[in-house]
Amino acid sequence: MAHLTRRRLLQAGTAGVAASAAGVPLAASAQTATPKRGGTVTVALVQAPPSLDAQLTSAQVARDINLHMYETLYARDENAGVVPDLAQGAEVSKDGTTYVFALRPGVKFHNGKTMDSKDVVASLERFRKIGLASILLSGVDRMEASGPLEVTVRLKKVQSNFLDTLSSPGTPLAIYPAEEAAKDPKDFKFIGTGPMKFVEYAPDSHATLERFADYVPNPNYTRRDGFAGRKEMFIDRAIFRFMPESGARTAAIKTGEVLINETTDGPTAKQLAGDPNVQVLKLLPFALQIAKFNHSQAPCDDVNFRRAVTACINAEETMEIAFPDIHKLDGGLVYGYSPYYTKAGTELYNQNNQAKAKEFLAKSKYKGETLTFIVDNTRPPTDTATDLKEQLGQIGIKIDIKVADWPTISTLGFKPEGWHFWTHGLGIEPYEGPAKLMSIWANGISQTKDDPNIDKLYADLLAELDMEKRKAIFAQFQQYMYDNAVVIPLGNYGMFQVVSSKVRNFAPYRIPRLWGTWLEA
Amino acid sequence: MWQFIVRRLLISVPVLALVSLMSFAVIWLVPGDPAAVFLDAGATPQQLAQVRHQLGLDEPFHLQMLAWYGRILHGDLGRSILLNRSVAAAIVERLPVTLSLTALALAFAVAMGIVAGLLAAMRHGGWADQSIMVLALVGLSVPEFWFGLMLIFAFAVRLHWFPAGNFVPINVSFAGWWQSMALPAFTLAAVQMGFIARMTRSAMLEVLHQDFIRTADAKGLPWSVVVARHGLPNALVPILTVIGIVTGGLLGGAVVVEQVFSLPGVGRLVIGAVLSRDFPVIQGTLLFVAVIYLLINLTVDVLYAVVDPRVRLE
Repeated sequence: MAHLTRRRLLQAGTAGVAASAAGVPLAASAQTATPKRGGTVTVALVQAPPSLDAQLTSAQVARDINLHMYETLYARDENAGVVPDLAQGAEVSKDGTTYVFALRPGVKFHNGKTMDSKDVVASLERFRKIGLASILLSGVDRMEASGPLEVTVRLKKVQSNFLDTLSSPGTPLAIYPAEEAAKDPKDFKFIGTGPMKFVEYAPDSHATLERFADYVPNPNYTRRDGFAGRKEMFIDRAIFRFMPESGARTAAIKTGEVLINETTDGPTAKQLAGDPNVQVLKLLPFALQIAKFNHSQAPCDDVNFRRAVTACINAEETMEIAFPDIHKLDGGLVYGYSPYYTKAGTELYNQNNQAKAKEFLAKSKYKGETLTFIVDNTRPPTDTATDLKEQLGQIGIKIDIKVADWPTISTLGFKPEGWHFWTHGLGIEPYEGPAKLMSIWANGISQTKDDPNIDKLYADLLAELDMEKRKAIFAQFQQYMYDNAVVIPLGNYGMFQVVSSKVRNFAPYRIPRLWGTWLEA
Repeated sequence: MWQFIVRRLLISVPVLALVSLMSFAVIWLVPGDPAAVFLDAGATPQQLAQVRHQLGLDEPFHLQMLAWYGRILHGDLGRSILLNRSVAAAIVERLPVTLSLTALALAFAVAMGIVAGLLAAMRHGGWADQSIMVLALVGLSVPEFWFGLMLIFAFAVRLHWFPAGNFVPINVSFAGWWQSMALPAFTLAAVQMGFIARMTRSAMLEVLHQDFIRTADAKGLPWSVVVARHGLPNALVPILTVIGIVTGGLLGGAVVVEQVFSLPGVGRLVIGAVLSRDFPVIQGTLLFVAVIYLLINLTVDVLYAVVDPRVRLE
């Protein structure tokens, strides 16, 4: 994404707030601008990462730092498509159970060692053993270094999302040197193959990375592209500073102590839009806001009740209240840029039809009892719950909202009793695609009750290697979700990022990517 | 004196045992699962169970408690769930920040609070007294997070005198450390300053009406000497009590101030631990803070005897 001047923002008619989105190609002015090497960029993050060992955390803030240091065999491009990164490519057997990966030659680790197949196998085995999401590799039968630069993975059965899994930025299957992978995690040194290498970590203060001088950008690409593509570092050093207080982050970017603020609130974004020293950028979509039903609890186990609720919902009003200026009405269960995006069933999105809702409600089991809506104590979800309560109150559904912090609510939400509705965002799942998204409802996880139709569609998707057929299965799934009111999709929301005008060629993405950006003198 | 100190330290042991038991039990009663913090909303129950097992959270209450006491007796506060490192190490590496912030804030609060209180007492009923008391009340009433943000806005954003939140360790640069600590310490001191000023004023007013002060004044000693040599020392006991309480308050206030000014201290560690239900860190820091409080109280008791020989600790 090009550097966006204030004038261009105003020309874009966005009230001084830059419109930008993942998946938008680099603008012409940025492509023709001459990058400059050197300098230090300080990035303000909202909290400290739980770990800088990429395999052991799925925290967003850890991803922000770690994906500059570590790389994976496959990665996601700007539109979340799966593309090779440390691998040159993969040959898949006809039965879909064997993958032979050719590794990119000449890839260096930060300790100077050249990556080979033993490092890859050791890293994947480590993930399978102690990785936070080790379940991702549960379908692997065995792995072997079948050549110096070749790795063979045999699956227990067909798993069409295997490359999706390898490229997941959620808990990245990062490739480490074999000797580091063999160590106890507490002795692990933060060594990867990424364009930046670890320098220092001061707990609760900052993490410092510097440009990895021996990094060779992937020659198979010509431009920055999501988490993959050509990762060319122009900046010498990056300091990721952990600043939980929003006001302090805003002050720091105003004084120039910080050059990138990962996120700010809407009112601050509007206020800063008039400041010529900064650019305010929109990262949209960042997440899909949903309201879940607990299908184990009456009356949410009744499809007529769920249909009454979905018919009543005015998603436009809810999103405007909860995410003013930073939302997009979209009923798709994956983001609009995904090749799997479909409109199937979305005629039932954002219905705002009280008459229809009352008809369904009359046919339902609902007898006027008070239902429990659980929500974590952050502002937008609480606003979402409050507005939905008001809307449902208009057709006679009584709701009691229970607010608590995330650990409390998420623990409750995993249980089949104690709640009827739960609203929260899904960030990485709609990004990663159908398999990841469908897995949330497979085996009755999110609705707390098995749904054989969903389970079958999920199994069909995993067994299907043809992409067009997978698209059709996902469309069927989305249609089913709407027809049976399994969940209430409310729309996409984003976040505002603030970047100093000294930083050039920065493009909002799911992490504040520093490769491809440079500092103006 | 030594007997007193040893006796007090021995009495502290059951207090600490009680604190540790309460901290352990309370955490079990609080809803919320640390394992859930590692996972997003789309996680499976199997993933949750796997993380719980890896973290040892699926052990029964009594086994976890026994393990906790066993570790404490070996001087081990346990291992942080989220940080994957020892709790003691996590506290120790953040302690210099919190201690230096608290010490600097205490110095500000004591110096300015006592001077302001003295001035108010000496100008009792006058405009200086009224103004100081109004300011003290304002200081006591203003929330620390708001006051801190106002100071950042005025002195960092507008005047560029101080950084907005860039902590510099003292061993890297004393000037940098001072710059990064001045605003947080002043924010933290503001509330306690008002408290000390009000107590100093009231203690001094009581002392200044005593016969020995009148006698000293009648002898022709300058009023400043009367106040400094005869008044203040006799008003110090209640002021010391307040300073002891204030020091505890500063430790509590440091949690908020560290958050506002992005200081990597124990307060940030505690907040992060509470939000993520990192039980070992919460338990370890609670125990640690209890020890600090006990030491502060002991120090204050000992100082009573130092400033007032009539107090016999034995």
